[in-house]
Amino acid sequence: MPRSQVGRDTDRVDGRLKVTGAAEYSGDYRAADLAHAHLVTSTIARGTITSIDPAAALASPGVLRVYAAPESRLALYEVTGQAAGFTENYLPLKSDVVRFHGQAVAMVVAETPEQARDAAALVTVTYDAQPPRTSIADEPHVPAGPTISGAPSSLEILAPGVGSIDAALAASDVVVEAEFHQNVQHHVGMEPHAILAVWDGDQVTIHAGAQIPGPYALAMAQRLGILPQSVRLITRYVGGGFGARVVLWSDTPLAAAAARELGRPVRLVLTREQMFTLTGHRSHLTQTVRLGASRQGVLNAVSHRSVAERPTTIAFTMTPAHSTSDALYRTPNLHVDAQVAVLDIPGSRAMRGPNEAPGAFALETAMDELAVATGVDPVTLRLRNQATAHPATGLPWSSKHLDECYRLGAERFGWAGRSATPRTRVDGQWLYGTGMATAIYPAHRRAGVVARVRLLDDDTAVVSTATSDLGTGSATMVAISGADALGIPVQRVTPEIGDTLLPPGAPAVGSSGTHATVPMVVDAARNVIAELKRLAVTADRSPWHGAAVEDLRYERGILHGLGHSLTFGRLLTTIGSPGIYKESAPGGQPVPGYVHHSFGAHFCEVRVNRFTGETRVTRFTTVADVGRVINAKAARSQLVGGVIFGIGHALLEENHLELDTGRLASSTLADYLVPVNADVPDIDVVMLDRPDPVLTGPLGDGSEDVGTGSLGARGLGEIGTVGSAAAIGNAVYNATGIRVRDVPITLDKLIDHL
Amino acid sequence: MNQEHDAGPGRSGVSRRNFLGGGLVAAAVTPLLTGQAEAKAAAAPTVDGVAQVTVRAAVNGSPVTVRVDPRATLLDTLRERLDLKGTKKGCDRGQCGACTVHVDGRRVLSCLTLAATTTGREVTTIEGLADGDRLHPMQQAFVEHDGLQCGFCTPGQIMSAVAMVDDEGGADSDDEIRERMSGNICRCSAYPRIVDAIRDAQQVMR
Ligand code: FES
Ligand code: FES
Repeated sequence: MPRSQVGRDTDRVDGRLKVTGAAEYSGDYRAADLAHAHLVTSTIARGTITSIDPAAALASPGVLRVYAAPESRLALYEVTGQAAGFTENYLPLKSDVVRFHGQAVAMVVAETPEQARDAAALVTVTYDAQPPRTSIADEPHVPAGPTISGAPSSLEILAPGVGSIDAALAASDVVVEAEFHQNVQHHVGMEPHAILAVWDGDQVTIHAGAQIPGPYALAMAQRLGILPQSVRLITRYVGGGFGARVVLWSDTPLAAAAARELGRPVRLVLTREQMFTLTGHRSHLTQTVRLGASRQGVLNAVSHRSVAERPTTIAFTMTPAHSTSDALYRTPNLHVDAQVAVLDIPGSRAMRGPNEAPGAFALETAMDELAVATGVDPVTLRLRNQATAHPATGLPWSSKHLDECYRLGAERFGWAGRSATPRTRVDGQWLYGTGMATAIYPAHRRAGVVARVRLLDDDTAVVSTATSDLGTGSATMVAISGADALGIPVQRVTPEIGDTLLPPGAPAVGSSGTHATVPMVVDAARNVIAELKRLAVTADRSPWHGAAVEDLRYERGILHGLGHSLTFGRLLTTIGSPGIYKESAPGGQPVPGYVHHSFGAHFCEVRVNRFTGETRVTRFTTVADVGRVINAKAARSQLVGGVIFGIGHALLEENHLELDTGRLASSTLADYLVPVNADVPDIDVVMLDRPDPVLTGPLGDGSEDVGTGSLGARGLGEIGTVGSAAAIGNAVYNATGIRVRDVPITLDKLIDHL
Repeated sequence: MNQEHDAGPGRSGVSRRNFLGGGLVAAAVTPLLTGQAEAKAAAAPTVDGVAQVTVRAAVNGSPVTVRVDPRATLLDTLRERLDLKGTKKGCDRGQCGACTVHVDGRRVLSCLTLAATTTGREVTTIEGLADGDRLHPMQQAFVEHDGLQCGFCTPGQIMSAVAMVDDEGGADSDDEIRERMSGNICRCSAYPRIVDAIRDAQQVMR
């Protein structure tokens, strides 16, 4: 009898393909008569193109087309309605307006990639440049608008009789006020965006990495002026997402429009440099956090304000207090406010823990400052201020075990022996210190997700849903959930994802893929088991022909009843059916009346070199409360990867926007630094594995034929990234006595104070 | 090219710099730039007015002859000409390690290696590592330890790790593995599991 794999360590279903080089990413597909495109990008941030000279490029060997803005041959259209927010607000190459430095202004198509690249270097562009708006400090500030979940980005809750948040702060025994700044950060998925567009009549097949296949294809159809059913998007293997593959950028429409105009398949691969301006980034921002508390550290007032950039072409609305300061701690007085300044900068997009990573860095650093100011241990301080109801709405959580995260984490890490006084642990040239911080991330359940389960006559099953696996392990999650629901081994389940021909799948964003998918897989399995029974009692050659479905019981892949037992494959073979399938109902929202978050606690140790200011992370423990765990192996990897994003946030990653030119200064992996192996210690990650009883619907009581063991999961792609940077910064403070509120904490910010 | 004169980290002697410096013999035989008419008469055929170089190498154990533009990188030649797409392009400028392959058993960045320098050499890519259906111990260890997520950096990580053990004698500690694997970026940040995988595979391989 197979035991369920839910919660155990399961190898990825695609691991073998990935270690042998056989997994095909978008840029690996080929087509007959393929032509290759290469983009030319703008060298000013704002203005108009006065001329583009394509002559040299056109005369270059193998060149088929030079499309230059404003280009009339490419047919591209406005995207309207809901899909409008899913793409940039201008038509690529269609006008002479330059909106940011690094925007596509021309595209060369040639017989080979080398010819296209060489010819692109020969295109000369002249501009009428205007001074770009580049400073969030100097440009006018406007309210950010609603948060990603629709809540207002500004909110003030005051205790009875309190006139203002300033009054509440002034009345507090201890006040901490701190300002934080971080520069632009980039997703840096290892696979540069690559698109293959192949037309067949008015149908187009697109190979491209996409985190939300359905809406991506929908926006694409509008861009191309064709019907949604005319676009098929295949996104089977994707070299990392982290938010950069959510919306439709200029690259995919340009490749598809060129292929249509040229009458040949076209492949466009962005260079690493182009990735830095054409596929989004995390906004740079300034945050101010003010905490008012009693001498025992009990919060009386929390205020969290931010100013971030808003690019003109597409912007992720940055509301860093949302789901951090408006959710984490109990306080009678709460004020959050998010402002933005419109800048001429490349489009921004959500990046792993989009609001929460910067928001938690600010809040959790300020909490550490409060711990120092009050002399209360940082863990104790947080336990003392734990919220039992969501501060902004008063609603209860569907599931919250944050206190256990703190306690277990502190124990595993050995927090108890810590000295709160900075600079007490010195070992040779190294100063050692420890710090901790809280992680929180919302769990949104996206509606409309459908899964399909097929039972085949060879006793295997196929589970299909058009979600995307960015390295998250979602294909394996689908297989495990399907196997548990059907009661068969994972090896007998084939997951199918990443293709818009499949039923609409979960968006691989916002840590929501898992909890949006599993209930639909269970529901589809439930429906197909019912269909199997119906067939068993109606099909002529079935041993149960004429019986009642109530006489049948499905268990672990086998139908039992009236003295007979047949596997579903056997039954299908007997009645001459190759297979049957059923879809789930479209997924809905969880029952109202609850808020949903995942939680966690990070503990870390750093050492800082006394002479150079170099900071190394030496130990890290994270305990995460993420609901039911589906695949412990992939889940651990996701959480570890999330924490390492936090190491990048704290110590390495930033891109400077040049104020004069509007140019992002870094455009390669040599000057935009991401963590490498030597930057990363072993990371101890524990998952509490407490099923969420609400988010994915009732957990099931074991009375059904279908297995419900995968219900109660929450996604966990981002929670590791939230708070981890603050834990590192707090440890740096503990090691050195230096508080750095401007990340990354590079040695230049420490060395003068050591 | 004279291999004896190659030294330093690029020990395979197939870096772009070595080609441009030491590889002038090849350039003299097949002029880099020549007119269309001359090219037809010349021994080396031209494409788009550029004399092509004939490369004869053993790729994954099989003899391969391919005519390439002298400027073509090994990475583009593998991917676009030889249909070996397991080797990935993450940056095309030697900064990420995704394109790592072996030349004569040594790890090189194929984006910084000119295809023309590989004549007479053995090139091994990720496709050439497994023994039929039997995965190489390093590949097996990466699967078992989950030393990958999106998988895009994985061929480069594995090729790098195999040469680190086979060609360079392996690593004596986890810290040494980390240090010697730091030319291969993994944005999914599978690093700790990559270290686990290499530590394990090294036992089997040694
Ligand atoms: S592609 Fe060669 S090092 Fe990045
Ligand atoms: S597995 Fe995705 S970059 Fe390494």
